[in-house]
Amino acid sequence: MTAEPLAAYAVVGEVLADLEISAAWLVDPMSGREGAADIVVRAGIVETVTWLDGDDTGAAGQGGIIVAPGFIDLHAHFREPGNEDAETIASGSAAAAHGGFTTVCLMPNTTPPLDEPGVLARVQAAATASGSPVRVLAYGCVSAGRAGEQLAAIGELADAGVVGFSDDGSPTRSAAVLRSALEYAGALGLPIVEHTEDLAMTEGAEANEGLVATMLGLRGWPASAEASAVGRALAILAEVVREVPGPRLHLTHLSTRSALELVRRARATGLPVTCDVTPHHLALTDAWIAGSRSWAWEDGDERAAAPFDASLRVNPPLRTPDDAAACLEALLDGTACAIATDHAPHTSVDKHVEFGQAVNGISGIETALGVVLAAVDAGRLPLRRAIEALTTGPAGVLGARLGRAVGIVEGETAELVVFDRADRWTVSSEALASKGKNSPLIGRELPGRVLVTVAQGRVAYLAE
Amino acid sequence: MTAPVSERGPAPVQPIVPTVDEAPGLSPVPWSHRHLLDVDILTWDEIELVLRTADAMREVLARPIPRVPALRGRSVTILFYEASTRTRVSFEVAAKNLSADVVNISSASSSVAKGESLVDTVRTVEALGADMLVLRHPVSGAPHLAAEVFGGSVLNGGDGWHAHPTQALLDLYTMRQRLGSLAGRKVVILGDVLHSRVARSNVWSLTAAGADLWLCGPAPLLRGFGAWGPAAGFTVTTSIDEALHDADAVMALRIQRERMAAGLLPSLREYAARYGLTRERLALARPDALVLHPGPMNEGVEIAADVAAGAQSAITEQVRNGVAIRMALLYLLAGVTR
Repeated sequence: MTAEPLAAYAVVGEVLADLEISAAWLVDPMSGREGAADIVVRAGIVETVTWLDGDDTGAAGQGGIIVAPGFIDLHAHFREPGNEDAETIASGSAAAAHGGFTTVCLMPNTTPPLDEPGVLARVQAAATASGSPVRVLAYGCVSAGRAGEQLAAIGELADAGVVGFSDDGSPTRSAAVLRSALEYAGALGLPIVEHTEDLAMTEGAEANEGLVATMLGLRGWPASAEASAVGRALAILAEVVREVPGPRLHLTHLSTRSALELVRRARATGLPVTCDVTPHHLALTDAWIAGSRSWAWEDGDERAAAPFDASLRVNPPLRTPDDAAACLEALLDGTACAIATDHAPHTSVDKHVEFGQAVNGISGIETALGVVLAAVDAGRLPLRRAIEALTTGPAGVLGARLGRAVGIVEGETAELVVFDRADRWTVSSEALASKGKNSPLIGRELPGRVLVTVAQGRVAYLAE
Repeated sequence: MTAPVSERGPAPVQPIVPTVDEAPGLSPVPWSHRHLLDVDILTWDEIELVLRTADAMREVLARPIPRVPALRGRSVTILFYEASTRTRVSFEVAAKNLSADVVNISSASSSVAKGESLVDTVRTVEALGADMLVLRHPVSGAPHLAAEVFGGSVLNGGDGWHAHPTQALLDLYTMRQRLGSLAGRKVVILGDVLHSRVARSNVWSLTAAGADLWLCGPAPLLRGFGAWGPAAGFTVTTSIDEALHDADAVMALRIQRERMAAGLLPSLREYAARYGLTRERLALARPDALVLHPGPMNEGVEIAADVAAGAQSAITEQVRNGVAIRMALLYLLAGVTR
C-alpha cells in the first residue's frame, strides 16, 4: 500500500471516502491480536477487517506497513489561549495527526489557565474551528490560577467535560490541596495527573545531577526531587483511598528509576496509581547535552554534536542511561501504562538562547513514534507493547471520558494510523507541522513514516 | 569526553615557537582551533604550544615598549555579562599589546540590559566588524551558543560554573614556572569547587600535565565531583589536613555569601575556621609549596592575608602571566582565521 493513490481522492478534514489496505500488519491491542490483514474503510466506517494467514499474507510483516488504532496522547501543550506564537490548537492538531495521534489531552497551563469552564469553551471552539478531526480533550487545573492554594472549579469543569485535573508545569504546590483534589475528583471519577517535582530541590536546576552536569558546570537536578514528590503523592493517596471511593492518581512523565520503583511497589499494594513516560526520557540521556547523539541503549561517540543544545532543556531533565532503561522496564512490566509526549512547543526567542536561560520543553508529538520505533528496532520494546502504550494504555487512564472504544472494528467509525516501518524520514523545521521547532532530533533520520491518520472517520493527515 | 594526552609522552624534537613579532598564521604552527571554549579540547602538545607562545609574549612584555604589531587591523570585542575587573582588563591589555583594535561592551551599558538576546548581540558585534570575541557570561555553555553564530573566533573569558580556560592555562603556566614539570606533583584546589569554573578547567589541564590533583572542600561544595574523580584521575576529600599534606601547590577558591543563603554552608565564620588557608595549615604542605588564588580574594575567609602576601604566594605572578597567556591565545586563534 502506498499513499499516492489516496492523495487523489482524500482531503484533510473531510470524511475518508475510500481506503483499501491489503496485506498490512494490523496491531489490535484491544483484542491482543496482531498479524497480516486486509482493511477496507468506506465513508469513514471500517467496512471489513480480514485477518490473513498462510499464503495470503504476502509481504506483510512487522517490518513493513503497520496499521494501528489512532494514538492517544495523555500529555500535550498546544499553548492556546495565550501563547499562540508558540503553538495553536490548529497547528498542534496538525502536528498530532502527523505523529499518528488522533486524540490529545491538553494541559491547562495556558494564559489564562484552564481553571473554569469558560476557558474550556474557548479551547473547544478553537478545536472545532481548526477543521481537524483530531479529538482535543483537556485537563482542568487542580488549583485556582494554578497557584496551588485553593481548589479550581473542579465540579464545574467536570460537568463541562474535562478529562482530569493537573497543575502541570509545576507540581500541586500544597500537599493539602493535592489531598482535597484527589478526594473531590475521585468522587467524580476523574484522575489527578500530577507533575512530581520537589521545587525546593530544583530551584535553578538545569540538568540531571550526575557526571554530565558536574563536568559541564550545569546546576544539578537530583533524581530525589522526583522520587520525594512521588512519595508525597503516594502517601496522600494511600490515606484518601481509605476515606473515599474512586480516587485515581496518574503520575506523568516519570523519569527516574527510583520514582518508577515507588510506583511499582504502590501498584503491588493495590493503590489506584498509574504513570506514563515520555519518548525522550526512554531514548535520550543527559549525555546528549554534552554532545552525544546515541540512543540511551547504545554506546557511541560522546561528541557527535556541540554541547549545550538548549532544545535538550526539559522538565524533568534527561536522565542517565540507567534511568532510561528503567523507563523501558516500567513499560514492559506494566508499571507505566502509557507513553505520553509532553509535547512542549516554544518559540525560538525562548529556546535559541543560553542553555540555562532557555525555557523547559521539547516539541515531540511528531517524533514520538519514530523514537519509540527506534527502541522497537533495537529490540528493547515489542511492537505490540509500544502500540498498547500509545492506545489502550492511555485509554485506560481516560476511562469513559475518552468517549469511544479503541480498536479497528467492523461497522465502527475509523480511528487509525497507517505507517511504514521500512520508510525513514528526516526531522527538520520544515517537516514539522508544529510551530515549535524546538526538537533535539532536528537533522536526524527516524524510522516509521506516517502515511495516513484517520480520526473520527475523517482524514487527519495524509503523507505527500 | 576524553582527557588531553598526558605530558608523559615523547617530547617533540624541535618545539615550534611562533615568531610573535609578525602577523599570526604566516609561519606554520600546529594549531587549528578557531575558538577556545575550554581546555578539554586541547591536546597536551597544543597546551605546550600555548605555554611556549606565552614565553615569547613574556619576552615582549619585558621590552621597554611592550607592544608588537601582530594583530594590527584586527578588531577584538570584549563582551562581559558579569562584573569583572582583572579578567576584562587583562584581555584588554593583552589585545592592545598585540596592536588590535579593542571594543569593550559590558552588559550594563548596552542593549543587553534591555533584553537583547545573546544571539542578536553576537551578530551585531560581528556586523560591526569584530574578528574576535572575548565572552564572559554567567550561564554555563553561553560561549558555545556564541560560537554557533559568530563568524570569527570566540575566546571564553569564563562561563557560569563551566569553564575558564585562560585562567587554567595561566595557572598551569605559573606553576610550571616555579615547579618545573608537574608530573607527579601534588596540587590542591581548595574551597567552593561546585560553583567554580576555574576548578573545572583546571581539572582538565592539571590532569593532562600529570599532576597528582586533589579537590578539597566542605561536602556540599564537592557535590558530583566524587563520581568524576576516578574517571578523570583526581582525588576528592573533605579533609583539609589530608589534602595539604606534602602538597606542592595550593589554590584557594573564592567563597561567596550566596552559598549560605542557598543552605549549602552554615556560615563564613565556620568556613574560615575549617577550610581557610592559614599559615598553620600551609605548614602541612611542602616548605616551598606555591600558593595561588584566581581572585578576587576574601582575605581572612578562604585565605589569610599573610598567606596571600607571603613569600610562597604566586598570586601577583598569576595576574602578570594572565596577560602573556591571553596574548598567546589571541595570537594563536588569529592565525586560524587569517
